[in-house]
Amino acid sequence: MWNWLALPGTLWMSAFFLLSLALVLLLSFGTTDNNFNPHFGTSLANVKALVDDAYLKVGLRSLVYAALTAVICLVVAYPVAYAIALYGGRFKNALIAAIVVPFFANYLVRMFGWSVLLGDDGPILKAGRKLGLPASFHILNTNTGVILGLVYGFIVFMVLPLYAALERMDVSLIEAGRDLYGGPLRTFLTVTVPATRQGALAGLVLVFLPAVGDFVSAQLMGGPDQYMIGNLIQQKFFEGNNQPLGSALTMVLMLVLLVGMIGYLRRARKDEQDAVR
Amino acid sequence: MSRRSELASPASANQKQAEMSAVVTSSPAAAAAAAPTKQRRRRVERKPRVAIAITAIFFVLLYLPIAVVVLFSFNSQKSLTVFKGFSFRWYDEFFHDHDMIASLGMSLKVSAVAMVGAIVIGVALALGMVRARSWLGSYAGFIMLIPLITPEIVTGVASQLLFKGFYIHLSTTTVIVAEITFSISYVTVILRSRVAALNPELEEAAMDLGATRWQALRLVTLPALMPAILASAVLIFALVFDDFVLAYFTTGVTPEPLSVRIYSQIRNGVRPSINAVGTLMLVGSIGLIALALVIPRFFGRKGGLDILSGE
Repeated sequence: MWNWLALPGTLWMSAFFLLSLALVLLLSFGTTDNNFNPHFGTSLANVKALVDDAYLKVGLRSLVYAALTAVICLVVAYPVAYAIALYGGRFKNALIAAIVVPFFANYLVRMFGWSVLLGDDGPILKAGRKLGLPASFHILNTNTGVILGLVYGFIVFMVLPLYAALERMDVSLIEAGRDLYGGPLRTFLTVTVPATRQGALAGLVLVFLPAVGDFVSAQLMGGPDQYMIGNLIQQKFFEGNNQPLGSALTMVLMLVLLVGMIGYLRRARKDEQDAVR
Repeated sequence: MSRRSELASPASANQKQAEMSAVVTSSPAAAAAAAPTKQRRRRVERKPRVAIAITAIFFVLLYLPIAVVVLFSFNSQKSLTVFKGFSFRWYDEFFHDHDMIASLGMSLKVSAVAMVGAIVIGVALALGMVRARSWLGSYAGFIMLIPLITPEIVTGVASQLLFKGFYIHLSTTTVIVAEITFSISYVTVILRSRVAALNPELEEAAMDLGATRWQALRLVTLPALMPAILASAVLIFALVFDDFVLAYFTTGVTPEPLSVRIYSQIRNGVRPSINAVGTLMLVGSIGLIALALVIPRFFGRKGGLDILSGE
């Protein structure tokens, strides 16, 4: 009976997910005809087209943006998770819920709110200019704007694993560190940081994965000069009508993520083995 | 986890205090010994002011864009950056915008159908996956995880290609199918650990008492899972309603789901009514997600965030 229960879902996922990914892979070797209709094929033209400075630049930019986003998220989320896990008291769950709930609310609307706030006529830059910020200073349409958007969009994926790690940590370890006359910083570095390394690593991956494929932040907080690989994919599918090339880009994105994922899993397994030893 | 909460629970803190005062009152020598300990303890527990300040700023920034959207939805003027006075005109405009209302209806329909579909398939999958000791179970456990680590744009591109590859016109149905696919993963992840935590002996007991396997499932197992099922249903409804990327790649022309329409509005000329729509959407999904978090409490279970993480 259990097999029968699992069957419809497994078939559904195989048909609508695995099969569709396979189609993307196939179409990346496809071509378009004169009417921009995609056709499957065995052409390497798309793969070759990707080895082009313009694409490499966008690809590199996506990686840098996503990596910076992950690191900034770690730096910001760590004190937040730390304060809530160790000093949240009975409000701990409420505070974490207050972080999680808005993140599930509409991403576009929240991003739109930021674009209004950070725009050239927005309250933040207006106040800044009164305090002497040069008129040439912008946040929208800059790298900063896009990365801010990405950090805001995905920081919850950093807070949760860090919080879980800190919550799981035995606080008496910190007390023990202090009893052994370790200073606050030393205790933090030698006790707390190693205890939460797994959580931080998981958070870095969980932020990096969606950030590298995002296209909304680059569009609303940036412009064509900040476009990421997701924006290119979107263009190929909606504006450029070059779906085979878009598929090839998608496959490159998947490949990057796969490599990252495998690297992470191997690292996490190694950490686990070290911990057992 | 349990150890940590034990340490933090007020009961054990009181106990510690009581022990300490007992020591203090019992002998002056012990009191003298306890004093430095107490002092050191205070130093250990000094609150990290920097971390708390960052947390406070973090919460302000977290809600700032939401506050802006809500505030300007009540603006009496067209400006998106200067608040002139209070009015409901943008809500009025939204409710009289037939296209917007059609999109709202479309989003509600997609969310409702996808919710039912994903719950039915996902609950069955979670039950089967955990219990079936076969290659099918392990394969299902593997396949349902991939959508969760795949960026949405890849899922979107792939779904669009799948439909186009089989010459299926993009429509309401294609959005629903794509959303169900994505949601099944969520439902299964949430329910998997609940199913694993169930005591299979309960079902066996039911069958010993004459229930068929199917009756045991329906009368014993499903009721035990009901809080988690309801919570994930509410969560899926909100996630699908808010989803933009998948809907964008798989929707037909008219009427587009609400988030897709909002996206094209943001890109091609914003109307201030977008703040009103945005506010309604934010309030709706924040309410639903908060509901999903507290649903288990209605059943006398511990409510909480584990519903979101599946832990």
